[in-house]
Amino acid sequence: MADPMLRLRGVNKSFGQLEVLKGVDLDVQRGEVVCILGPSGSGKSTLLRCVNLLEPPEEGEIFLEGQDICRGPGSGTGESSWNLDFVRQRVGMVFQQFNLFPHKTALENVTMAPEKVLGKSKREAEASATALLERVGLGDRMTQYPERLSGGQQQRVAIARALAMEPHVMLFDEVTSALDPELVKEVLDTMRELASEGMTMLVVTHEMGFAKEVGDQVVFMDGGVIVEQGDPRQVLDNPQQERTRKFLGLVLDR
Amino acid sequence: MKVFFEQYFDFNVMGEHFWEVFDAFLQNLLIWVVAAVLVLSWGLILAFLRQLPGKKFAPVRFLTIAYIDIFRAIPALIVILLISGGVPFLTFLPKDIRIPHWFGKPDPFWYGVAALLLVFGAYMAEVYRAGIEAVPRGQMEAARSLGMSHAQAMRHIVIPQAVTKVPAPMLNEMISLLKETTLVSFIAFGESVLVSREILAERLNSSALILTAFFFLIIILPMARVVDYLIKRNQLKITRGAHIEVG
Amino acid sequence: MSKTRLTALAVFLIALTAMVLAACGGGSSSSSESSGGSETSGGSEESKPLTVGSDIPYPPFEQGKPGSYTGFDVELMEAIGEEIGREPEFIDSSFETIFRDVAQGKFEAVMSAATITEEREKVVSFSYPYYLSEQAIVVQEGSSIKGLADLKGKVVAAQQGTTGLELGKEKAEASELRPYPEGPDAINALKAGTVEAVIIDAPVAVNAVEELGGIEVAEKVPTEETYGIAVAPESTELLEQINEGLSKTLANGKYTKVYEKWFHEAPPKGIFTAVEEAEAE
Repeated sequence: MADPMLRLRGVNKSFGQLEVLKGVDLDVQRGEVVCILGPSGSGKSTLLRCVNLLEPPEEGEIFLEGQDICRGPGSGTGESSWNLDFVRQRVGMVFQQFNLFPHKTALENVTMAPEKVLGKSKREAEASATALLERVGLGDRMTQYPERLSGGQQQRVAIARALAMEPHVMLFDEVTSALDPELVKEVLDTMRELASEGMTMLVVTHEMGFAKEVGDQVVFMDGGVIVEQGDPRQVLDNPQQERTRKFLGLVLDR
Repeated sequence: MKVFFEQYFDFNVMGEHFWEVFDAFLQNLLIWVVAAVLVLSWGLILAFLRQLPGKKFAPVRFLTIAYIDIFRAIPALIVILLISGGVPFLTFLPKDIRIPHWFGKPDPFWYGVAALLLVFGAYMAEVYRAGIEAVPRGQMEAARSLGMSHAQAMRHIVIPQAVTKVPAPMLNEMISLLKETTLVSFIAFGESVLVSREILAERLNSSALILTAFFFLIIILPMARVVDYLIKRNQLKITRGAHIEVG
Repeated sequence: MSKTRLTALAVFLIALTAMVLAACGGGSSSSSESSGGSETSGGSEESKPLTVGSDIPYPPFEQGKPGSYTGFDVELMEAIGEEIGREPEFIDSSFETIFRDVAQGKFEAVMSAATITEEREKVVSFSYPYYLSEQAIVVQEGSSIKGLADLKGKVVAAQQGTTGLELGKEKAEASELRPYPEGPDAINALKAGTVEAVIIDAPVAVNAVEELGGIEVAEKVPTEETYGIAVAPESTELLEQINEGLSKTLANGKYTKVYEKWFHEAPPKGIFTAVEEAEAE
């Protein structure tokens, strides 16, 4: 069998005294959608940020398409590591707070990285950016600045922006948490479509419905470790662990 | 009281020396413009050097911080005196640099510009730093996650936003810079304070100083109003931004 | 234990500093009060020091640190003070404002290598002349500038508000004439090579050449100018006393002694005749 798209082994991460990840193992197959659940502070966002080396792990190994992207224990900031470019060009990320560039239009937000990082011509970058923005349903909003877009629209621009780098893996970090309820659906629809096209996705979310429907695998994290993982229906409808049950009970009560 | 008014508000003296003082004040403006252009760029370079990431750049960061601390601490006048008194003796430098007469301006002009550049560059670096730190961390993270290098992220994403946050404090520094150009009188450059003091020595009357003060007032008062306007506008923006994030 | 001691020491030092500062402040304010007092009562209270404004340093006329100023002006004033029974107290002051300051009573007299001019006489009264002045053109050793005529098109320095600057303006045709706040600044600029010549009082020039080396006097220019001691126009009594004291020092050899000490040569005959003429008037 081919290498999994992503393989994590014993990933540890601390911020000063605070141990946030305590040895996480995880395999993500090509084209798989993995939803990560867990209470706040469980380390799920940090796990995503480890995968694209925004927060390089202190210990453990991360293989991306079979390539070790960490230098092993104590690899420091990763700034000088050759595998940083390798990672950033294969892994796209979408953030809770969108983090669109406010001084750029929607179109410029999407063309920026292909032009500056991949060295694409302006015309080429704009052509593919236009296609991407149309795909996320924002063909008529391309010249708007983020300030003039709704939260849902901003988040869809952010998704298009990440896709413009033609990533092999997409990371979604609570991308609907900052949205008004009526705007959540449009973003989830976009993600759903992406999943159906075969994109490998790691999704940190509180949207149980989405996890159940789209997820190929659900991971429940608490206290920096994976407590339970498996088929979405099994984990969500019939959790084996007490902590999972308790968390799901809290979420469903909400 | 009468003596006071004769001494400082003799309109005959002001009238007779008006153009003399005016021309000298233009020299202050010239130093100001030249120094300001350089200060704005130099401060940006320092601010950039100061926040280079990683272990590799630690010495650069350290030197930059040391520079900024030192030149924020030393009075501009001392820097002016040290440069004008010291640089000419650095014989390893070519004469055109030791004793510059560029663009038809005498060496005290350039010593003054250099000293003000060193001092206000440090101040401006701090203004820019405050601007950079006011840009949310997520902007840098988003840029990095798209594969931009730190330098690219700074240049295309962080600095363009930081620059929009600095006009008010920047303008304040520029106001100080304009006033401090009078220090160049200490090295005998014929700017407005020096000329006013010469008039004082000649006429034994200080009214030319009041005239000079008046010129500064005319230029600086509108700038001060602009600063207030910018601060007010920025506050509006901040409250609006916060509302969006909460929503 | 030791920590509380350290704290106590720190508190003590701060308190001490504060007290010293307060004492200094009090001292200076009381001395300014006394000078104010003596102004109103003229020179009648002989025990009080005679306050003299002077732009220090200007060697060899005035130099040294506060409290121990010395120089030709300082020692001559001390000699005059002995004759009239008042000890001078020199106060450092900026030259450009010095005549206005004495007229306004900031101090009682000005003795600061000050040339007697008509313009200044509108504001203050001058004593008999006590020094015949010459200006010197100072250049770097080996300079092609040999005198006033060679200053054409050159960068020339002088001190703000001085006769040297006036001479430069009127006769030098310099490409640029730079007025420095202090004489030594101008000399420094010459040493640094940023100016090509300095026009300054001859004794100052000679002194600077001796002290520094590498520079020389290209030419001495007689100016027909004399130095005087200035007082406020209403201080007629004080002016008489100073004139009387000056005449006595010229007569009893004290003047000659001080002159020789500072200028390493005998005083010119002209100064005696100038004072005699002034007395006759």
